[in-house]
Amino acid sequence: MSVLHVVFKVDGAEYALPAADVLQMESFTGATPVPGAPRHVAGLVQVRGRVIPVVDARVRFGLSPGERNLDSRVVVGQLGDRVVGLLVDSAREVLKLDPAQVKPPPPLVVEQARGFVKAVAQVGPRLVMLIDFPRVIGEEAPDGDGQR
Amino acid sequence: MTGSSVDLADFLPAYLAEAEELLGAAHRHLLAVETSVRRGLAHPRAVRELFRALHTIKGLSAMVDVEPIVAIAHWMETSLRHADRAGGRLPEPSVEPLMEGLREIEQRVRQLAAGKQAAPVPAGLLERLEALESIVLGTAPAQKPAPAVLELDAAIAARLSAAEKEQLTTGAAAGRRAVRLDFVPSAERAAAGVTINSVRDRVAKLAETVKVLPLSGPAAGGGSLTFVLLLLTDATDAALLEAAGGEPASMRALTGAAPEPAQAVPAAPEPEPALLEEEPEEQRRGAGTLRVEVSRLDEALERLAALVVNRSRLTRAVAALTAAGAPTRELTAILQENGRQLRDMRAAIIRLRMVRVGDVLERLPLLVRGLRRSTGKAVRLELDVGDAELDKAVADRLLPALVHLVRNAVDHALESPDERRAAGKPEEGVVRLACHAGASGLLDISVADDGRGVDARAVAARAGGPVPQTPDALLEVLCRPGFSTRDAATATSGRGMGMDIVRRIIVDQLGGELALETRPGAGTTFRLRVPLTITLVDAFVFECAGLRYAVAVGSVDELIDVDPARLVRPAGASGVVLVERRGSAVPLLSLESLLELERRDGQEGRGTKALIVRQRGEPVAFAVDRLVCQQEIVLRPLEDPLVRVSGVAGATDLGDGQPTLVLDLAALGLARGGGRRPAEPGRGRERAT
Repeated sequence: MSVLHVVFKVDGAEYALPAADVLQMESFTGATPVPGAPRHVAGLVQVRGRVIPVVDARVRFGLSPGERNLDSRVVVGQLGDRVVGLLVDSAREVLKLDPAQVKPPPPLVVEQARGFVKAVAQVGPRLVMLIDFPRVIGEEAPDGDGQR
Repeated sequence: MTGSSVDLADFLPAYLAEAEELLGAAHRHLLAVETSVRRGLAHPRAVRELFRALHTIKGLSAMVDVEPIVAIAHWMETSLRHADRAGGRLPEPSVEPLMEGLREIEQRVRQLAAGKQAAPVPAGLLERLEALESIVLGTAPAQKPAPAVLELDAAIAARLSAAEKEQLTTGAAAGRRAVRLDFVPSAERAAAGVTINSVRDRVAKLAETVKVLPLSGPAAGGGSLTFVLLLLTDATDAALLEAAGGEPASMRALTGAAPEPAQAVPAAPEPEPALLEEEPEEQRRGAGTLRVEVSRLDEALERLAALVVNRSRLTRAVAALTAAGAPTRELTAILQENGRQLRDMRAAIIRLRMVRVGDVLERLPLLVRGLRRSTGKAVRLELDVGDAELDKAVADRLLPALVHLVRNAVDHALESPDERRAAGKPEEGVVRLACHAGASGLLDISVADDGRGVDARAVAARAGGPVPQTPDALLEVLCRPGFSTRDAATATSGRGMGMDIVRRIIVDQLGGELALETRPGAGTTFRLRVPLTITLVDAFVFECAGLRYAVAVGSVDELIDVDPARLVRPAGASGVVLVERRGSAVPLLSLESLLELERRDGQEGRGTKALIVRQRGEPVAFAVDRLVCQQEIVLRPLEDPLVRVSGVAGATDLGDGQPTLVLDLAALGLARGGGRRPAEPGRGRERAT
């Protein structure tokens, strides 16, 4: 049974998240910085009355922060009780992925992606990487419960 | 799971809320049952309530397809049904497996709440629960004593279940009086506030209510309806009559001196549902209560906040009109009325968010019970919380701190029974948690034990410092991160949070106060004072490096102008700047560098205004660029671990759609400026991960 995925781009590469985990997508108009939060946290945004943290995918993936423009999107994802945004370069497409298309990531990707990529899908000529959302948004507390 | 998983997701929030509530009730009733079992008594009401709670949990869990919970609940329910039929009698060995069952159900509910699958039933549990059935059945019929005989009108006797009759007879056998109180309602009495409900409430303080039966027909004082309350009590007739509003209420004892076998209650087994028609209590509890998701309350508050923001704009616009010479007298009057309405509305919404402190603390007896078993100490928990209420947002934060204090008291403060006996104290230690609403929106809470007291010398030795001379100094040492007075981490307190976290919750997160009193050998009392609500706060809004921030007015001692010409830079103390304030020098911190902000215009800015707050009792000034306004804000705590950082109390919306940070300056200064040292420009990036 094929599963619907949201596809987004970061630094030219294509990534995907199961659509079931995505609440919505918002354009990005800036975030309120939070002092003391991990570096990959771009800040807070308000989405439909709710204040959520936004993780900058470029910083999280070890890339230089890119220009924010009209294409920039916040992919709002749900993880248990948590709602967290992921700031990406663009997000325009949804794809149905068949389990048969999805393969474990090649060793090189595993190494370079710091565990953020849990599988890859071959879609025609394109290679789409399925990200491990919990790991990307970081399950760990930023500072061990405030004790540094 | 295919189709059903969709349904599950839809029903889950409601299921979780309901399951949580039922588990809370089940725990409470099981504890009550345990207490009765220890005294060798039956507790039919609690057994029945427990049975109902489990029955409902089972049904709900089956609806959302959580097989492990259904299985556990089923076997618990089965044994409880037998216990219920046996007059609410449970053999002692059955309590522990039931506790275990509740724990396991609770654990699975938590797993579901965390978005996980419920774990399978642990090995052996179902067998243990299934075995209960025969234990319960084995004890039930034979040892049913008939120590007292009830004198009841046939009409009333026929409407009592076997369990209720037994409750009355065993209660009487245990030394209490079984009595019948007749209350006759009337219009005049209702007008004076005396109704069956108020009588019930008042009688409940004096007696255990076994049953309330409405009887129609000519009644004393000319009425046509009588409520017969069947009670077990130690109180006097006069006190009970008084509770029922005096004449024409009347009292009668149910146990005669000379039992007449002929009048004894018919012992025929009774079909359960016969009673259901008159269970006014059930109805009373359900009527007029509504369960609401907190997010909906938050939403209402958001809407209100938007109104408040809009009102500020309106006020400014009217002021501008007035200044331009327009006739605005009526407009101003309307605006004032509008302000009052908003305040009333705000109070109403805050009331919606209030929860009873007693409900929040309902798990504490269970905690203490667990501690009793794990530490081997004899301890009694006394709760004196009255009717106090708290904003849910405060209650949620407060509970972990109270749990920690109670746990610490049992684990560290109370001595073993042997030590206590040697010290001439009762073997059973007491932990007492009391609270009452204090002045102006504050709640005072105390957690007191009668244990060994805090040994200041031992604390000093462990901390490697001088012996603290005052309670405040002692508390300060106890609250240092990582401080512990025990060498080995104990099972109960060892890996829990330390006092530093308690202080962080009470002082930093809630903006409250924490104090300590201790006497060697006599005990320790922690006194807490917290605001009733942290949801709506009066705040100063200011600008720093082009960004707006808010800070609670209550946390600010004073606002001052900073005159650059009068700043003092003491020689040798690099980067420390002092500002003169009423004859004394106060360190001035640059908020901009504490927040690691980069100035867009490239100017080095020591702000022109400063907010003075108390940091561990000492005044510290935080320089900001500009004060914007003072207004009421809706504080939304930041729950996500990614952004839960010291110094940030939460976020608010000032009406521009962008979250604005609400700062806790004292905590920020401590966390990022390092206690005593003011911030040095340039440091700080080190923290970024």
